[in-house]
Amino acid sequence: MSALGAFAESSVRMATPLAYAALGELVVERAGIINIGLEGMIIAGAFGALAGTGFAGVAGGLAGAAMSGVLVAGLFAIFVVGLRSDQIITGTAISLLGLGLTGALYQAMYVDAGVIGRTTTMGVWSLPLLRSIPILGPAFFAQPALTWALYAIAPALGWWLYRTPAGLALRAVGERPAAAAAAGISPSRVRTFAILFGGLMGGLSGATLVLAQVGGFAEGMSAGRGFIAIAVVALGRWTPLGVWLAALLFGAASALQFLAQAMGWSVPYQVWLSTPYVLTLLALAGARRRSVAPAALGARATE
Amino acid sequence: MTVPAPALHLRGISKRFGSTLALDDVSFTVASGTLHALLGENGAGKTTLMRIAFGLARCDHGSIEVDGTEHHFHSSADAIAAGLGMVHQHFMLVPALTVTENIVLGDCGFFGGFHPSRAAERVRQLCEETGLGVDPLARVSELAVGAQQRVEILKAVSRNARLLIFDEPTAVLTPRETDELYSWLRVFVRGGGTVVLITHKLREALTLADDVTVLRRGRSVLQSTVHAVDEAQVVSALLGEGPALRTPSPVRVNRTTGDTVLSATSVTVADTQGSERLHGVNALVRAGEIVGIAGVEGAGQWELLRVLAGRVTPQSGSVRLPAHIGFVPEDRLRDAIIPEMTLAENVVLPRAGGLHGRIAWSTYAEKARALALDHGVRPPDARAVGTLSGGNQQKFVLARELEGSPEALVVENPTRGLDIRASDDVLERLRAARDTGCAVVMYSSDLEEIVSLADRMLVCFNGTVIETPVDTACVGRAMIGLS
Repeated sequence: MSALGAFAESSVRMATPLAYAALGELVVERAGIINIGLEGMIIAGAFGALAGTGFAGVAGGLAGAAMSGVLVAGLFAIFVVGLRSDQIITGTAISLLGLGLTGALYQAMYVDAGVIGRTTTMGVWSLPLLRSIPILGPAFFAQPALTWALYAIAPALGWWLYRTPAGLALRAVGERPAAAAAAGISPSRVRTFAILFGGLMGGLSGATLVLAQVGGFAEGMSAGRGFIAIAVVALGRWTPLGVWLAALLFGAASALQFLAQAMGWSVPYQVWLSTPYVLTLLALAGARRRSVAPAALGARATE
Repeated sequence: MTVPAPALHLRGISKRFGSTLALDDVSFTVASGTLHALLGENGAGKTTLMRIAFGLARCDHGSIEVDGTEHHFHSSADAIAAGLGMVHQHFMLVPALTVTENIVLGDCGFFGGFHPSRAAERVRQLCEETGLGVDPLARVSELAVGAQQRVEILKAVSRNARLLIFDEPTAVLTPRETDELYSWLRVFVRGGGTVVLITHKLREALTLADDVTVLRRGRSVLQSTVHAVDEAQVVSALLGEGPALRTPSPVRVNRTTGDTVLSATSVTVADTQGSERLHGVNALVRAGEIVGIAGVEGAGQWELLRVLAGRVTPQSGSVRLPAHIGFVPEDRLRDAIIPEMTLAENVVLPRAGGLHGRIAWSTYAEKARALALDHGVRPPDARAVGTLSGGNQQKFVLARELEGSPEALVVENPTRGLDIRASDDVLERLRAARDTGCAVVMYSSDLEEIVSLADRMLVCFNGTVIETPVDTACVGRAMIGLS
C-alpha cells in the first residue's frame, strides 16, 4: 500500500472511535447537557468489551461495552438530571471515576488473577468493487463492521434530529427547556434519554478501541478521546454529518504522524497532533456570525 | 341540569410559597363560550392560579374541573389533553426553531416521523382557518412580538384547545396589534371557544369581557358579570382599602426655549443583518420636557431610543449627547439588572467600568438602601434583585438611573407588566424628573399612556421620524403612515 493509501486508511481507523463518542455527545449537547464524563464512558466501554468477549466473543464484547457505557451514563444522569448538580464538576468526577475504576478492576480481575487481557478482534469487511478505488477504496470500504455502521448511524441521526418529533423535542430542550415544558414535553426525561444514548455511543467508542484496533485492554487507553470528541462536536457545528466529517479530520490529523514517519519528515509528531485543535479554535472563532451551539448548553436544570 | 357545565371550575384552591400564602381558598368559575377577565394587582395570585389550572404548578388544596370532569394535572401535557391552552406573558417559544417546528413541538407522539414541508402546509392551513397570519417557515427569533404571540395562539389552537388562557397578552403589543387580538378573541368566543384574560387594563377588560373576577392578595374578592358592576366597584375591589388612585395630572409644559440636551441629525442605523432601521432621522430633546415616542413594532423606535441613550452608534449622521444619560430598557430582567446579584451590586454595575481599586461596599449598600427607601422599593433590604416583584424591580432600575440627576433619561415601556399603582408611581417619577430639568425620552406601546404623559410626540414609521400633535388620533394615524 502506498504511503498515501496507508494514511487514508489510518485516518478513517483513527476517526472511528472519535465519531462514535462525538455523535453520542452531539445528542447529549443538543439536549443542553455538556458531558465532560464522556472519557469515563469510553474507558468503561473498553473494559466492558474486554469482559464481554470473555463470555460471548465479539458480540458479547459489543453488548458489554454498550452496557458499561449506559451504566456510567446512568450515574451521570442521576446527578445532573435527578439531583441537578453542576454538569462540569459531575462530568469531571465521572471521567476520573471511570479511569480509576476500570484500572482497579483490570488489575484485580486480569493482572492479579494472571488472566491475559487479550480479545479477538473484528474481521475487516470489504466491498469487492469499491475497495479497488485507489487510496480512498481501502480507507472507506475495507474496514471493520463498527466503521461500516457509522455510514448508517450518522445520516440516521440527522434524519432523526430534523425529521421526527423526538428529534424536535430534543432540540427544543437544548434551546429553551421552559418552552419545551410548556408544550408538554418533559425536559428531564428527554435529557435522561439523551445522556443514556451518549453513554451507549461512548461505550461503543471504547469497544472500537478494544475489538477493532488494539485487540486488548490497557489502563487509560481512551487517551483523552472523550475530551477530543467534545471539540469534534463544536468543529462539526452540532450537526451529525458535520460531526462525522470533523471526526474524520481529527482522525486524519492523528494519522499524519504515521505519514510523517513514513515520509521521513523530521517534525515532532506533537505538531501534527495539535493541528485539529488549532482548526477547532478557528472554527469556533468563525462561528461568531451566527451562534450554532444550543442556547441552553450547560445550564443547570431548573424545571 | 339544563345549564352546561362550566368550561373551567377551580374549587377552593390554596397554594403556599414558603411562608406566604399565594392563594387562599380561591374558587373560580368560567362559563363555557364566554370571555372572562381575571383582574388583580401584581402579586395578587392571578398568574399562579392560572399556572395551577394549566398544570404548570401544583396546588396544595383544591380541585380542578374542566367541562364538568375533575382532573388532576401532573404537567401541562395533561392540561393540553383536557382542551386547555395558555399564551404566556413571556412567550414559551424556542427562538432558534421555525414557526412550524414550534407549533408541532410536543404535539405528535414521541416516535414516528414528521415532514417539515407537509407540517408547514398544515400550519399554513391553520393560519387561514383561524385568520392568524404568520409565515410558517420563518424562524421565531426573526418575528416581531405580535407575530410571536400569534404563534403561541396557533400552538394552542392546533391542539384543539377550547379554553385559552392569556396572561397579560397586550402588555407587549402595539395598539393596532391589540385591536387585532381583541377582535380575534371575539370571533373565537363567538365560535364557542372560552377565554380567560389575565390583565391589568381595567377598561379594556370591562369592555371586552362577559364576566370578571378580581383577586386581591390571594383571595377572590369579586366575581360577577360585567353588566352587574361598574368601574368604581372593580377598582375598589382591586385596590382594597389602599390610597385612592391618583389621576394623572394633565399638566403639559410647552418648551421652545430650553437648552437642547439631546440631538440627533441625519442619523442612519442598520441592524446586524445590514438592513437600515433608521434613515436620516432628526430628533431633538430639550431640558425639562418629556418627549414621547410611538411606533408600531420594528418601525425604528428601538434604534432611535438607543441612539438617544448613547447605546448604539449610528452608521452616519451626528448625535450630541450629555455626559450622564439614564437608560431604562424594556426588558429589565435581561438588559438592566442581574437578578442573582444584590441591590448594591446592581447599583455599582453601570459605573463599574469607571471605578478603580477596592469597591466600598458598605457605602454602596447604604446607597442602595437609601435609593430603595426613597423610591418605595419593597422590601428595601432585599438581597438579590431577582427576589423583588416586577413592579419593585422596575422602581429599583428607575431609582438607579435617576440617581445623580442625569441630564437626560431614556425609558422604554417603563410600565410594562406593572399594576395600576406601580405604573402610576413610575409615571409620577418621570414627571418629577422633568420638573427638575431632566430631558426625558419615553417610548410606550400603550398609546393612551404616552399621550397622557408626553409634552411633545415623535412618531416612528418605517425608519423615519415625524413630530405630531400630542393627540391619540394624530399619533395613531402617523403610526400607520397616515398624516
